[in-house]
Amino acid sequence: MKMLNIFLYEFKHFIKSKAKLFTYLFFVLACIYSIYNGFNLQNNHLSTIENIQQQDDENISQVVNWFKNGETGPKDRDWIDVTDPYWCMRYSPTYVVKNPSSLLPLGLGQSEQYGYYKKVTIWSSPFDSDIVEEISNYERLINGNIDFSFLILFLLPLLLIILTYNLNGLEKDLKFDNLIAIQTGNSKNWILYRLIFYTTLLLTTVNALIISVVFINNILIADAVDLILLSNLYIFLFIIPFYFIIVFSSSSTSIAFKMISIWLMLCVLIPGSVHQYVSLKYPPNYMTDFLDANRKDTYAVFKLPKEELHHLLMGIYLDLDTTKQGQDSIINRTIVRNTMSAIVNQININAINKIEQQNDSKNDLIIGSYWFNPVSYFQNEWNTLTSTDYNSYKDYRKDIQYAVDNKLELLTFESWDQRKVNSKVYDKYLDKLKSTR
Amino acid sequence: MINILVNEWKGFFRNKLFVFLSLFFLISLCVVTFFGIIQNEKQLEEQKIAQEHIRLQWDQMEPSNPHSAAHFGSYAFKSTSILNSIDEGINAVTGNVLRLEGHKQNDVVFSEASQSLLISKFGKLKPALIFQFIIPLFLIFFSFNSYTSERSNGRLKLLLIQGASLRQIVFSKVFSIWVIGIVLLLASIIVQFVFNSTELSSDTFLRLILLLFTYAIYFFIIVTLTVLLSVIFKNSTAALSVTILIWVIWTIFLPSIIGKTAEEISPLPTRIDFKESMASDRSKGIDGHNPRGDRRQALEKATLEKYNVEKLKDLPINFSGILMQEDEEYGNKVWDKHFGSLYDQLKSQKNIYQISGFVNPFISLQNLSMGTSGTDMYHHLDFLSQAEKYRRVFIKSLNDEYAFGGSKTGQRGWKASNEFFRSVKEFQYQNPTFSSFYSKYIIDFLILLFWVSMLVIFLSFSSRKTLDI
Repeated sequence: MKMLNIFLYEFKHFIKSKAKLFTYLFFVLACIYSIYNGFNLQNNHLSTIENIQQQDDENISQVVNWFKNGETGPKDRDWIDVTDPYWCMRYSPTYVVKNPSSLLPLGLGQSEQYGYYKKVTIWSSPFDSDIVEEISNYERLINGNIDFSFLILFLLPLLLIILTYNLNGLEKDLKFDNLIAIQTGNSKNWILYRLIFYTTLLLTTVNALIISVVFINNILIADAVDLILLSNLYIFLFIIPFYFIIVFSSSSTSIAFKMISIWLMLCVLIPGSVHQYVSLKYPPNYMTDFLDANRKDTYAVFKLPKEELHHLLMGIYLDLDTTKQGQDSIINRTIVRNTMSAIVNQININAINKIEQQNDSKNDLIIGSYWFNPVSYFQNEWNTLTSTDYNSYKDYRKDIQYAVDNKLELLTFESWDQRKVNSKVYDKYLDKLKSTR
Repeated sequence: MINILVNEWKGFFRNKLFVFLSLFFLISLCVVTFFGIIQNEKQLEEQKIAQEHIRLQWDQMEPSNPHSAAHFGSYAFKSTSILNSIDEGINAVTGNVLRLEGHKQNDVVFSEASQSLLISKFGKLKPALIFQFIIPLFLIFFSFNSYTSERSNGRLKLLLIQGASLRQIVFSKVFSIWVIGIVLLLASIIVQFVFNSTELSSDTFLRLILLLFTYAIYFFIIVTLTVLLSVIFKNSTAALSVTILIWVIWTIFLPSIIGKTAEEISPLPTRIDFKESMASDRSKGIDGHNPRGDRRQALEKATLEKYNVEKLKDLPINFSGILMQEDEEYGNKVWDKHFGSLYDQLKSQKNIYQISGFVNPFISLQNLSMGTSGTDMYHHLDFLSQAEKYRRVFIKSLNDEYAFGGSKTGQRGWKASNEFFRSVKEFQYQNPTFSSFYSKYIIDFLILLFWVSMLVIFLSFSSRKTLDI
């Protein structure tokens, strides 16, 4: 029998097998639903970000109007003076947002575990409580979203089992496998060609779905190539052992049992064991280093005398000695205290580095398990490509830290230079505050 | 019937694959349960260290202004229940640390899930993972052809001739396989008893019994359904395909889809909208740090009248403390309104999710497993509620000390003593007893029992209809 004939035979068998056809269509519909969910989440993120930016613009125009009208702040708070850099910074909220990747509809990854917008003030840090995930139902979170990556990584192997568990198994159950061997000459090739049919079917389906998102979101196909390759490679991760199971098993029940066992091992048991081991080695971090920095050490800074604060600030920004206050022999208590948040920021940075290092060690352990835990590897690689993995959010935290540093540097130098802010200076501030890493 | 059961078990023990898998699961479960207990103890130890660390800072506080101390605040660390070692429920995604401070009701932060790359989509390898995902599959594989193989090899006819009814045979099959699931459950529970014996209270004992009961019912549903499909289809392959498909839909598809649907029926606000609406309501009240507000003027007037003096400086107490507490009281009303409505929405979503157990008994199982382990949303909300109640008492005691502790209005530099700070009690979370929560889970139990009754009826009916063997 020629390969084409086997292909056509398998196609007819597939079309006539209601259970297989139904399961396949069910899977495709689930994929479409998952992509729709992904688009919904992407649109929600975009709309929230748009609202935030609009609000940011309104705040800016409020300050601009104060300058225009010769006012110094809100009418009911006459102690506020936006011509002073300190108050001007306090009334210049800078939001740092994480824009959703255009590939987000193809994988939500860990996006529901983190926040994607953060208001940056002079007291902010990337681990503040307002950077936690969106409000959601925790019980839904543990069941996860039906997202496209989940369907490919966890359900596609099950679909493959349903489609292929009786290849050769049915013939062995009905005891005409010898007849097949005689007819085909080589039953291993016959099995291989039949399996290739289903492989082609799944590869085509998955690639077509990914490409459809590429077109809808106007992404360059090159940007999705890695994702296509990754998903195709993943399909082969299951196809290869399944081929050997089909060849060497004695019945369809035995094939199904072995295939399901492989799925359970790769998708549930190994990742679950690694997760438990990681948790034993690195129990949940209660972040006491950060809590200390944020509270005990911060309050210790509040209690420092102005001379000590002055000295510490000069240590952080070496060029401060070129400013008016830096050159003045008399220390201005208000200026120094208004800029002491830069010292707190430095303490926060040190604590955050410790936390990030602990998390990195944890991640190294996870990465070290990839050679026997391939599903976690594919899962995290997939999330990297859709910018929804831990590292993407770590980068986002770096963006936040950059914005905080930027704001504090501006505040400190401008305050120490005793600058009087007007609308032109304010524009320059905005340019500086909007700069990114 | 007992003879048939005994014969079934004899048959199982002659099957090497069965013996191997049963032993494998038995040993795995014991090991997994043991490591679950170790991991839980380690987590509790970390939580205790963190709590002591924070308390020590509080106890060592130098004489300070009580309101500054309210801003300094404290932290509540989410404690895990003993049965977290069986099913950690939502604990990995909820966050562990809650800041308790003046003027604010915070949200719990620093979830374990946000501290690393993604590892397992189905959670840690704890007994619940094995009970919910793996043992049901194991039971399916041992029951899908239990009827059809007897039918095809002619043994069924032999049994019928010997006087057994088809119903007795079919139910013997169900019970013989179900008992295997029970044995595995018991193994895990015994390990819990052995290694947690010093920690076990009557409440934990009750929870463990209910957990055992819940899984036992679910295993019965799985086995009965598989045998029923095997009786209906009269074909092993078709029965296996359909059962596996049902298993996938129940355990993987429906929980996510129903969860998502519940969120759409009763949508939650975005964090930014939630905060803005709270801030908007909050701004209408008194602001302890704003000396100009109208409400402040009214409070000032009322206080002066109460003490029958004309100026704040003549008050025998410190007005700032009263003002700060008034600010808190108003804030508390705002938090109650907004957080109350948020929690109501979460509860409404949970109700929808629970009702969906009529379509998917796995949901009822999951709810009961988390509920009896003390790791579901109701227990989480209880932690938040206890922490918030503590925060209010904590801040009030600081504000009262500021107002009535000996200072007078305008004495900003006045400091409360270290003894006072040490006298403020620390937050101790009291794990709720199951009896205080049981009413929330009745629906899940009823749904599981509904499934059992329906399946028993269908199986009885089918085994009567299938006499044409």
